Amino acid sequence: MNGNTVLDIQGLSGGYSLNRPVLHDVSFHVNPGEMVGLIGLNGAGKSTTMKHILGLMNPQKGEIRVQGKKRDEDAETYHGSLAFVPESPLLYDEMTVREHLEFTARAYNVPRGDYEERADRLSRIFRMQDKMDSLSTQLSKGMRQKVMIMCAFVARPSLYIIDEPFLGLDPLGIRSLLDFMVELKEGGSSILLSSHILSTIENYCDRFVVLHQGSVIAQGSLEAIEAQAGTAGAGLEEMFYTLVQGRD
Amino acid sequence: MDLMKLRAQRRSSFWGKEVLPYLGYVLQSGVAALTLFALIAFSAWYTSLVQHIPAGFPIRWIMLVLFVPLTVNSSFRTYLAPADTVFLIPQESRMKNYFQGSWTSGVVYKLLGLVLIFLILWPLYVRSDVNPKPFWLFLIVLVALKLLASYGCWKELRMVSRRAAFAYRLLRYVVLALSMAAWLWQPSGRSLIFIVLLAATYLAALRLPVKHPVAWEKLIAQEKIQSGRVLMVLGWFVNIPGRGQRVYARRWLSWAGNNIPWKPEAAYRYLLMKSFVRSDILGIVVRVGILAAFLAWWQRGGIVGIAIYWFFVFLAGVQLSSLLRFHSESFWLHVYPVAPGSRRRNAIKLAFQIQLLFAAVTWLPLLGAGPERPGSILMALLGGIVLCLLSRYFAGRKKTEDDDDDE
Repeated sequence: MNGNTVLDIQGLSGGYSLNRPVLHDVSFHVNPGEMVGLIGLNGAGKSTTMKHILGLMNPQKGEIRVQGKKRDEDAETYHGSLAFVPESPLLYDEMTVREHLEFTARAYNVPRGDYEERADRLSRIFRMQDKMDSLSTQLSKGMRQKVMIMCAFVARPSLYIIDEPFLGLDPLGIRSLLDFMVELKEGGSSILLSSHILSTIENYCDRFVVLHQGSVIAQGSLEAIEAQAGTAGAGLEEMFYTLVQGRD
Repeated sequence: MDLMKLRAQRRSSFWGKEVLPYLGYVLQSGVAALTLFALIAFSAWYTSLVQHIPAGFPIRWIMLVLFVPLTVNSSFRTYLAPADTVFLIPQESRMKNYFQGSWTSGVVYKLLGLVLIFLILWPLYVRSDVNPKPFWLFLIVLVALKLLASYGCWKELRMVSRRAAFAYRLLRYVVLALSMAAWLWQPSGRSLIFIVLLAATYLAALRLPVKHPVAWEKLIAQEKIQSGRVLMVLGWFVNIPGRGQRVYARRWLSWAGNNIPWKPEAAYRYLLMKSFVRSDILGIVVRVGILAAFLAWWQRGGIVGIAIYWFFVFLAGVQLSSLLRFHSESFWLHVYPVAPGSRRRNAIKLAFQIQLLFAAVTWLPLLGAGPERPGSILMALLGGIVLCLLSRYFAGRKKTEDDDDDE
């Protein structure tokens, strides 16, 4: 961790009830230009961690900083520094794809010219050119997920929080998303990515945070995880299985 | 599985748990009292009209304009939920039992409303028409036409082809409009023969399109619209969380909101404007506006015209107050970097601007009174503007009273 950390979580405990916290002393960070995979079983606390980062839940203990700022210090700057792609698309029925992108660009204060250029490029990358003027209710689930992804990417913040982005995407969509994430990463953006498709993210993430029952049980590069799991030469799936298996 | 009981349970759950708890607030609200006052004022005006009917009063046209929509419009509450496509599909062959209640309540309550309006209009009709139809025969024709329209609507809901359903919907309007016109303008015997022949042809035509045994998806979508409308009306009086509403594409209005300033403080107004132009509220405000303009023009020479104008400006304010509840629980407004309080501030501003536009447009027919009454015409406009300002003031005051969701 250094002074330039984009996301810094220290000693985070939290959940829906004070008596039964879901997260226990979670600490990790994301550096500029880094893609970090947040992995864990269902109910491990990945979404709860993301909700805390987004400010939808308040930490019971610990603190979260985005670009060095806590949410209660400057909410607008905090939120302006991150974009979120949820697991299930959350779109406004009353707006078209183009209008969703425009609403996001307006909220993030993206200059109009930049918005138009980005919207045009994203629509091409995700093959949505002929759907730009369709209402969100007229889209398939995969297309709705693409709109969520495009909205996050049109904002161009320094940190992306992406929760299970591959669900519902077709193979070309997954490829486009991965390629675009690499491009963003190379441009200096940071990504915290949660996914169960370990074989896919294995080759794209710089580091991994393994959550189990609300606690970080391993974190670091693939090699570091390998050392902690004690599974030489195995893939991420095997490492994850070994790490989690002995703890139930 | 007792399907009749299931529907009854869902029905009582909707009205008992989702609507009844809010009725107290509706009765307490000043809007309800004012509506009651408006009803009393209307009664006085109507009584006076019945006693002094102007020569050449277009009663047949008025009856046609009122009764065609009242007989044609049909809807059915099924209380179906999206999960029914999984859990009730095995019962598809028995769903007739489930829908029996929908059909009965969908027809009976609307018939009661129709009869009530007929009873209210009867004194006006019988005194102004040169050759009025007999009371009971008129009532029977109205009830028969209503049953015909309801049956047609139910069949449309089952049609496989959306185009066919749309075409049959148009046909229903044409059949009912022609029948009603024939009944009002032609002698009883001749018009009855025409109506029977037309109805028989229409019923035969309804047998042609291919139909689903149960049109699950369409019925579920319709149910969402129906329940959304009930909650929308309640929403005029009290905050109701998490209600969905019907969305209309209205591509011809897609330009609306594009000129809103490009800055984060106004981002929510952009979302609201897009939502407004594709919502039921726009349709309601436009219809209210047309009615207001027509009535204000009709009564432009006196104080009644001004009172009508003010009443409709107030009514538009009530309708537009729904904007304050649009997206009140929007996830993205918690995540996006919009300023605290932006949602409510923008909603109040937009509702005020639209109401002001409404007040200006519906005031124009009052100018038809001529140049001899400039004072009262100007006073009407000032009163309209004051009503808009009051709506804005009360919306703002409510903001400070409520625990504002975004501040």
